[in-house]
Amino acid sequence: MDETRGNRLNRLAPVFLSATAAGLAAATVGVFERRFSRYLVTGASMEPALHDGDWLIVDLKAYTKRLPEPGHVVVARDPREPTREIIKRVERIEPFTGLTWLAGDNQHESTDSRHFGPVTREHLIGQVRWRYWHAR
Amino acid sequence: MLNSQLATELYWSLNDTPKSTRLKEKCTLMNLLTSLLRPTREASAHCDGPCGVYDPAQARIAAEAVLSMEKKIAALGDGQDLATINSRTRFIEIKEQQAEIAKHDLNVLWTDYFKPEHLEKYPDLGDKFWKIAKLCSKNKTEQDPANGEALLKAIEEIHNIFWATKGRDVPFYLANP
Repeated sequence: MDETRGNRLNRLAPVFLSATAAGLAAATVGVFERRFSRYLVTGASMEPALHDGDWLIVDLKAYTKRLPEPGHVVVARDPREPTREIIKRVERIEPFTGLTWLAGDNQHESTDSRHFGPVTREHLIGQVRWRYWHAR
Repeated sequence: MLNSQLATELYWSLNDTPKSTRLKEKCTLMNLLTSLLRPTREASAHCDGPCGVYDPAQARIAAEAVLSMEKKIAALGDGQDLATINSRTRFIEIKEQQAEIAKHDLNVLWTDYFKPEHLEKYPDLGDKFWKIAKLCSKNKTEQDPANGEALLKAIEEIHNIFWATKGRDVPFYLANP
């Protein structure tokens, strides 16, 4: 084997390794960013589970292959104002139609399916998976 | 020239400039990290109504009006002329209305503001609200200013608990001390 070539390869090995590592890291972040979104909670309708100012990771693909289940905390489009995203807990799901009733944990300070009725699958944005920052 | 350079270097090494620069770097790094981690979307956990705005002051003002009417009724004496009867009737009516308002405002605090976790911390809260509602009724059926004073004392207690649950130190005061 050509000695100079071997030396050059040896010298370049760390470069290749770090480039691969960086590429993998970027790919992981890319996959993560595509599937998950970071959300800020505003308001008190999910007290005492979630507080105003909490930071959450929401799984945007949670309901692409399955239905939500009662007890899931979800982010959904407000059926009366689709640009607004609301956070509520799934109260129940109607069999066959998949109509989903949402309710705030803090029912005294929540506008939910008691007011605007059930939401459809299209309204559901994702499931809250983790809280990565506690406001208090 | 060289000496002065050395002196400057010595000056900077003795003062904690490098440390503060490090601190500054750390701060900007923290800011960078926070800005990377900061949420990009907002999920609203609101309700549509103007709820979330509670203050025992509402009940306190009504109770002060009750006490004021009780004092006026007492000061009026037992004259039976038309003017006195007219005034007495007005005072009684206002006392009734304001006692009812105080009762309503207190019930709103109890049923809408206070939550199970508050009750855990103040287990006698239900009893307090039950007694205070009865006290409001007593102010309606009787006209003794002592009832109004007792009502204000009880509202002060609610006031203290209310602001403690919000982690705030709000002094109790009277509009008409």
